[in-house]
Amino acid sequence: MSDAQAQIKETVDGNDVVLFMKGTSEMPQCGFSSRVAGVLNYMEVEYQDVNVLADEEIRQGIKDFSDWPTIPQLYVKGEFVGGCDIITEMTLSGELDTLLETNGVAFNKDAADKIRESNA
Amino acid sequence: MLEQIRSKLDAAFVPKVLEVRDDSEDHRGHAGYREGGNTHFSVKIRAAAFDGQSRVAQQRAIYAQLKQEFADGLHALALDVGGADAP
Repeated sequence: MSDAQAQIKETVDGNDVVLFMKGTSEMPQCGFSSRVAGVLNYMEVEYQDVNVLADEEIRQGIKDFSDWPTIPQLYVKGEFVGGCDIITEMTLSGELDTLLETNGVAFNKDAADKIRESNA
Repeated sequence: MLEQIRSKLDAAFVPKVLEVRDDSEDHRGHAGYREGGNTHFSVKIRAAAFDGQSRVAQQRAIYAQLKQEFADGLHALALDVGGADAP
């Protein structure tokens, strides 16, 4: 396993929720990353953000790691959940709430409901 | 690029619904945009091939068909995937 792959594995195994994104949770640098970070921030989910723009090896490495060609990528308890479209759909359908609950990850349910109300 | 995406998905999944849109101009000035476009697309697809698959599996199946396009500069693909009878 290359250094980048080992580093990625350590990050997704060592944190309950990890978002590989362009930019940071505070300052996303891509609309798709921004949308997912925005949802997590609004739902008050604690997560580790990894800025792929800061490290070219991670940027390519994460695509190989998950066999997924695009960024952002969300991981919960070491499992790849999806990219922007999937997270958006799962937020609106309530599946993301279930996934977080099942994995014992705290979040603000009222905020999640509010996202759904405003997108109904 | 648009026709290439359309014909590959059409051949691979024989979809009931297939809409491919070039959104590249919407991303002008943003990361990933390049002069000439052909970087950002959205796809709506409904096919029996996706029945019963998880979302990750559905999108992976599509990405697998478009490996060459990603290598050639396709940057973002907004996907709306469903089985044959999905809304």
